Amino acid sequence: MRLPAGTRDWLPPELQRKRAVEAVLRGVFQRWAYAEVQTPSFERFDALELGLGDGVAQKTFLFNDRGGTQLALRPEMTTPVARLVSTRMRGAPLPIRLSYVQSAYRYEEPQEGRMREFTQAGLELIGSSGADADAESLFTALEALDALGLSDARFDLNHAAIIDGVLNNVAWEPAQLATCKRLIAGRNIVALREFLSATGHAEAAGDLVGLVMLRGREDVLQRASERCSTAEGREGIGRLREILARADRLGFGERLAVDLSLLRDVSYYTGFIFEGFASEVGFALCGGGRYDSLLPRFGFEAGAVGWSVNVERLLIALERRHSSQFGDAPAVDVLVSGSDVLAARERAAGKIVRIDFESRSESELLSAARAARIPRVLIARGGDVSELEVTW
Amino acid sequence: MVSPLVVAIPKGALYAESAARLRAVGLDVPEDPGRKLAVSCPDGTQILLLRPTDVPAYVEFGAADCGIVGADVLWETERHVCELANLEFGACRLVVAARRSDRYHEGAQMPTFLRVATKFERTTEAFFAERDVPVQLIKLHGSVELAPLVGLADLIVDLVASGNTLREHDLAIVSEIAQSTARFVVNPIRFRVKYHAITALLARLDPTAVPA
Repeated sequence: MRLPAGTRDWLPPELQRKRAVEAVLRGVFQRWAYAEVQTPSFERFDALELGLGDGVAQKTFLFNDRGGTQLALRPEMTTPVARLVSTRMRGAPLPIRLSYVQSAYRYEEPQEGRMREFTQAGLELIGSSGADADAESLFTALEALDALGLSDARFDLNHAAIIDGVLNNVAWEPAQLATCKRLIAGRNIVALREFLSATGHAEAAGDLVGLVMLRGREDVLQRASERCSTAEGREGIGRLREILARADRLGFGERLAVDLSLLRDVSYYTGFIFEGFASEVGFALCGGGRYDSLLPRFGFEAGAVGWSVNVERLLIALERRHSSQFGDAPAVDVLVSGSDVLAARERAAGKIVRIDFESRSESELLSAARAARIPRVLIARGGDVSELEVTW
Repeated sequence: MVSPLVVAIPKGALYAESAARLRAVGLDVPEDPGRKLAVSCPDGTQILLLRPTDVPAYVEFGAADCGIVGADVLWETERHVCELANLEFGACRLVVAARRSDRYHEGAQMPTFLRVATKFERTTEAFFAERDVPVQLIKLHGSVELAPLVGLADLIVDLVASGNTLREHDLAIVSEIAQSTARFVVNPIRFRVKYHAITALLARLDPTAVPA
């Protein structure tokens, strides 16, 4: 019996770890006053398609219902939440803070950290376009990784308008601009240089490559502001400065850097963008940003910022650093033999109770308890109850 | 604490020059890799000696932070790695070739359904698809130039450095698909984690790659 490619079973100790990680994330979301929502695993594709970038739309699992309506397994959670807010929470006072922990599905080439069914946890802050909201989004992500014991995880920040402001110095056709940004996002310097020569902009190469290869803080922002020729871009630089200053006051400063090539899905983000990563794994752990153009596509004029994390990737990173914080199966407190009433009393007292079905002898029960690391054994025989302590 | 750099380099055609370049920047890479899989340099840098086609996977998954690999390998694997510099050595061309006697290189009419033998499946498929030419691909693992001689394929797609091998087998170039050279590639996340070490190494390998 083979499973479809890119799917997996979760056996008890593995699921225990996953649930523990999810519980930590939910705890952080709750402390920041984000309320959890759930949406259907599948929706009409025409609704989802409104919100998906091209790359994701192409990886969506599609199927038809019996009436011929095209349905899709949700490939991510931001679009379903945008749909939910736009259609069912229009009257709610803004800003709206929502969180989720749900499976999502993508038709990927399966490999480590990239499954066809995976778990997305994250949050969306809807109806606020200010630096407060951007900063809150970043801080929640930092605290979430901290709470998981990944307090050395680093975050890179960017603002989508900055690179637009830099590229504004050159006259591009729209398709060329898109190609250029895609090469910058992939930090594909060789192809970027070739592209600039081929389009007659070789003179811009040195400057642009210099900016894209740079990673730092104020030095990067300073260089960007010298080359950025739009008001939006300069506002973006100001926004990043404010977010960094606030992060410094919370003690996060050391872990943050500015990376102007961080564009993620190029067409999606409209402002602040960030990504969190740890040294153990070669892929990002979490990421997000501001996507003010998404909700208007659902007819709701509101800005939004949010981020998500792939829970399976977090588990890989935690496993790599041999974190023992998440892993122990729930310990059984007591092994009960011969009495349902006795077992019920123990459960009522909050104990985890395992019941012996086989009326085994005292010595057999003791060795079973020892093997399973159960510290107490209760044995009821003909009205007598004996309680034994187990050591190992 | 950031761990030392792990650099992947390909055994095979690009090895000698890759090793020489790394030695020139002070890394202790042997002239002859022999059967070695990895070497540690005195400064802690680890060098992984890999099959050329494995370099992109090691870098994508972060088992190596960065590496040297031919562009031809990158076309085929389509791994998510950042190409930071063209190191310019190991130049060769990926070409379509056929038997000289078929005269395809002089414009003779080709069969309507072409059989194409190659090691470079993805690139070949993309090349013919772009030109709307239906082909039947025959994936081979070596000695591709034999295929047209024994009637296995009408065309081959293969790498050519000097062109001697083609001439020896009486094959002629029909068209050129792309030019390949060695590239310096890096894992996108490790570029950030080990920014200073990676840009320092790159600046020494190719001073034009990291603008001031």
